[in-house]
Amino acid sequence: MGLLFCFLGAVAFGLLACVSKVAEQRGCAASGLVVSVFGWATVVMLLRTAALHSGFQMPAKAGAIAVACGICAAVAYLAFQTSIKMGKVTVGWLMMNLSSGVPAAVSIWIYKEKLSPIKILAFALGLASVLCLFWGQKSEGREVANTSRERG
Amino acid sequence: MWFLLMLIILLANGMSAFGLKVMAGWALPGSVKFPYLAIWYAAGLASIGAPMILRGVRLSRSELLWGALMAALSIAGQVAMAVALDSNVPGHIVFPIAIGGSIFIVALAGRIFFHERMNRLNIIGITTGFIAVILLGMS
Repeated sequence: MGLLFCFLGAVAFGLLACVSKVAEQRGCAASGLVVSVFGWATVVMLLRTAALHSGFQMPAKAGAIAVACGICAAVAYLAFQTSIKMGKVTVGWLMMNLSSGVPAAVSIWIYKEKLSPIKILAFALGLASVLCLFWGQKSEGREVANTSRERG
Repeated sequence: MWFLLMLIILLANGMSAFGLKVMAGWALPGSVKFPYLAIWYAAGLASIGAPMILRGVRLSRSELLWGALMAALSIAGQVAMAVALDSNVPGHIVFPIAIGGSIFIVALAGRIFFHERMNRLNIIGITTGFIAVILLGMS
């Protein structure tokens, strides 16, 4: 039963990226979509918090971190939504998920977490992936430029 | 521009999740995560919404509706993962399946529905990235 929910999670997140692309194709502005997504999610979370006995009680330092991280998330989603207008949704979504390496790397630096062989391999592959995608995009740009020059 | 956007996605999205790691270190009660997420989303809303208001930009009906669908899918994904973890499925199984699976679905949809063409470097990049994400989820 638990595994079924893992797959449902995969489908939901996969559809989220696909719907982002469809919305872009239907002419929705990137900033408008991000505001809408964060607006709806804020309403849901406020309702859920209001239903708690403890309510909105939390340390001020946690609130400050929430503000900083929320701004980062909105900027990231705006960049993703803007990028799928000019590039591939697959690459944008992969970058969104590869970004999980950033907190892992920061944790190793700040919390002195142990660097396991799996993590070393993951970081190496992640770096190789980013470089390949950058070069791939560059060579694609060159191909497009060459084709248009030949036609011109 | 595209390269800059990719760097922003990598760094900003990565740092957006770091708060949960910091909070875990403080050993706060589990109920704090809901007000934390309410502030998290509200801050994101304000950071993009405030400049829009200042410029006099209004949300269109389609942006509101597509945004609602996207928010519902995002919340559904989070809930599904939380239920899977509550059902005693270990995290090193839940995260690779949910995250790796979503990349696979997007790659498939990109090819079939959005007609995205990939050169050899893109294919190598996506394959190695896919493995990297799964390994990160496992660790």
